[in-house]
Amino acid sequence: MSEQADRRARQQRLLRVPVVPVIFFLVAPCVLFLLTSPDLTLPRIRIEYGPHDNPCAPKNVPPPPPPPPLPPPPPPPLPPSAAVDVDIDEEQRLPPLRQLTDRPYSLGPAVSDYDARRARWLRDHPQFPAFVSPGRPRVLVVTGSSPRGCGGTTDGDHVLLRAFKNKVDYCRVHGFDVFYSNAVLDAEMSGFWTKLPLLRSLMLAHPEAELLWWVDSDVVFTDMLFEPPWGRYARHNLVLPGWDEKVYAAKSWLGVNAGSFVIRNCQWSLDLLDAWSRMGPRGPVRDSYGKVLAGALSDRPPYEADDQSALVYLLVTQRGRWGEKTFLESSYNLHGYWVGIVDRYEEMRRRWAPGLGDDRWPLVTHFVGCKPCGGQYASYDAARCRRGMERALNFADDQILRLYGFEHESLNTTAVRRIRNETGGPLDADDEELGRLLHPTFRAAAMPM
Amino acid sequence: MGVAGGGRLRGSSGSKRQQRRRTMNNVKLTLLCGLMTVLVLRGTVGFNLLLNSGFVGGDAADAGAKAVDDIERILGEIRSDSEPDYGGLPDDDTDDAASNSTVHFTLPADASTWPYRNYSLGPRITQWDAMRQQWLSQNPAFPSVDARGNPRILLVTGSPPGPCDNAMGDHYLLKATKNKIDYCRLHGVDVVHNMAHLDPELTGYWSKIPLLRRLMLAHPEVEWVWWVDSDAIFTDMAFELPLHRYDGRNLVVHGYPDLLEKRSWISLNAGIFLLRNCQWSLDLLDAWVQMGPRGRVRDAAGRLLRASLTGRPEFAGDDQSALVYLLLTERERWIDKVHIETEFYLHGFWPGLVDRYEEMMAAHHPGLGDDRWPFITHFVGCKTCGRYEDYPLDRCLSSMERAFNFADNQVLRLYGFRHRSLASPKVRRVVDPRTNPLEAKEAALKMDAKFQ
Repeated sequence: MSEQADRRARQQRLLRVPVVPVIFFLVAPCVLFLLTSPDLTLPRIRIEYGPHDNPCAPKNVPPPPPPPPLPPPPPPPLPPSAAVDVDIDEEQRLPPLRQLTDRPYSLGPAVSDYDARRARWLRDHPQFPAFVSPGRPRVLVVTGSSPRGCGGTTDGDHVLLRAFKNKVDYCRVHGFDVFYSNAVLDAEMSGFWTKLPLLRSLMLAHPEAELLWWVDSDVVFTDMLFEPPWGRYARHNLVLPGWDEKVYAAKSWLGVNAGSFVIRNCQWSLDLLDAWSRMGPRGPVRDSYGKVLAGALSDRPPYEADDQSALVYLLVTQRGRWGEKTFLESSYNLHGYWVGIVDRYEEMRRRWAPGLGDDRWPLVTHFVGCKPCGGQYASYDAARCRRGMERALNFADDQILRLYGFEHESLNTTAVRRIRNETGGPLDADDEELGRLLHPTFRAAAMPM
Repeated sequence: MGVAGGGRLRGSSGSKRQQRRRTMNNVKLTLLCGLMTVLVLRGTVGFNLLLNSGFVGGDAADAGAKAVDDIERILGEIRSDSEPDYGGLPDDDTDDAASNSTVHFTLPADASTWPYRNYSLGPRITQWDAMRQQWLSQNPAFPSVDARGNPRILLVTGSPPGPCDNAMGDHYLLKATKNKIDYCRLHGVDVVHNMAHLDPELTGYWSKIPLLRRLMLAHPEVEWVWWVDSDAIFTDMAFELPLHRYDGRNLVVHGYPDLLEKRSWISLNAGIFLLRNCQWSLDLLDAWVQMGPRGRVRDAAGRLLRASLTGRPEFAGDDQSALVYLLLTERERWIDKVHIETEFYLHGFWPGLVDRYEEMMAAHHPGLGDDRWPFITHFVGCKTCGRYEDYPLDRCLSSMERAFNFADNQVLRLYGFRHRSLASPKVRRVVDPRTNPLEAKEAALKMDAKFQ
């Protein structure tokens, strides 16, 4: 009995620690947390929309032949602008890779008299003029993103939507057309090379478009009032943001930025796209051209060829043919590197006004190296990128909301507040400045004589 | 000895301790069971959401309240039996008579019984038509007709300022926006995509009212403001609105006049409509918004609308029911200027359309806009941006993909491409690349040509 007492005593001693209060203080916060957290989602089983054509279709397609083994990609330091990514398991369903011994890639049949054909088409269709008013060419802004959603845990699709809204606002203010591409037109030209077949298709299909302005999906227009001076480029066919010294003297692949450029709809441009695209087909061609580019340019490692380096290579090696008709623009921010810009927005608002387009109030803030969709090749911290994009988008959106009497409460939040009461009449009745912004002169219709 | 004594001591207080221990064990067990019950309840009933809907202030509460509003509205739409049957209603009259007899619809002679009539969208404007004409004459560079001579249209749409709860929701918002941009580029229509809450009182589907007023006042050169919900997809890229039919009318909305006579709350669809930029429209917005301010007003509106309209379940006041109510109670003031469109699908309810796209492509051609080739496929009830939906999410998403690709085919045709199938985002070339591209453009300019 004493043993039993001992045992009971031991049990009692073991239980001396106050178990109940401890458990209570552990359990109660958990319960409170579960009850009061508004956005805690319990996992639930549901069918995810997957990247297959038809998940219910019977799989009676014979398995494709195994593709030739791909060399492992070297870790690429910062491809500058990537608008589209390709799924890994798509590789199995694509045509075999183009080899170096195959014919060089071509975007389409060679066209030799395109300028004459286009001029004839414009003459036959006067209701589609190439110049909407004297000195103002018709501009088609082209952008795009991957046909697959970003998915995952980032809100990349939401950022893409906001960036698209930003481009739509800019194009509405300036009267440009905008084309958003959601399709990969040629499987060989994957990744950042998708823009080349797209630009060619658009040029051929829209002879009335005089200039095509490609902008990446991570470009934000931050000066709603500024418009590039089209007259300056009357004798050039390609406008790139960049510097002559960096391209021709230093041969740096960062001498231009291929994320925002203007290209004219003409024979020269079709030839340029043909020469440019030869370096693009995925596989051995792209890899070996990568080595060629590394040898020719001063600061580029030999990873696979990207469109920006390839363009610099063309400019440097065939300056007479391509460089003469290319304008390297540095007087305003046709491309604005985001790192130096996103923290200065409040200062810009204090000191300057929209319409400048240059470093004081950049036309474009370009989030190079940030991947809105996530992914492994981002060079900057995702949170920093996201915060910067939010600020840039709100900064641009403020310029539109101000026209209607609102603005964001701060650059870091989407909440808006009213800044101007309604007057009870047309919103620009009393305010000249506002009138000029709501109904800018470049949107004015040509007056009948 | 000491041990025995200790044992006896322990024995006497041992029973007390034993009892205490037993009580403690019971308490622990009770707490544990209570916690498990709470967890299970939270998972199945989701009752923390009900808690949250009672909170005030802040975006989270807005989102919560909106979610609750939306889910109840859509549940109501599904639960209600009076879904219009496109083929004809042979025996619905008896159903309606039966439901009529069970609930008394005391529709007041005029709406003066609605007590909340002083919500203001802004300074009262009475001379808008004259002001607008004066502005137009002072600014001849901004005429109210566009370059092709059609009345200028401004398409307005919107989406929430924050990310969707569901990543695919944002992706489909992006695709739907691209779809609207494509239609508007082809038809010369300007687009405003709004992502800001202009009035904290008018949340959810009511936020379009102050937005439309703002845009009408800021852009006198715009003749028609065209509100399109974010879940609507243009599926006929060649169809042009027959604006000449609307001379003398100020509001164009898709609906069923016979259901309107039966006071059905879904007799009109307020997700897609055209509103002329004129004094009548400003008056309509002023009258319409009175059921909108959130809280007490909207709840009271919900109860009044439930009592007045057939088939409407109990939930807070929504803009569509409020519009139906307005057109029924203040009939003489509004109905003459309202055109209820029935000849083409200004709103096309998606379940009956999305499975027929292949046969449409085989049998018809774009440009018709009606049941043979719907103008707009409207995904009501698919809240792909929210957390709650009334149709299974995967069905909604796959149907939206089909509708989007069906429309995108009509755009890509211009460039010689087509989607591999309506479920696939991948495209393939369908035009022989050796043809003269400018001749192919000629053929593609005929947007209403049949698909091969």
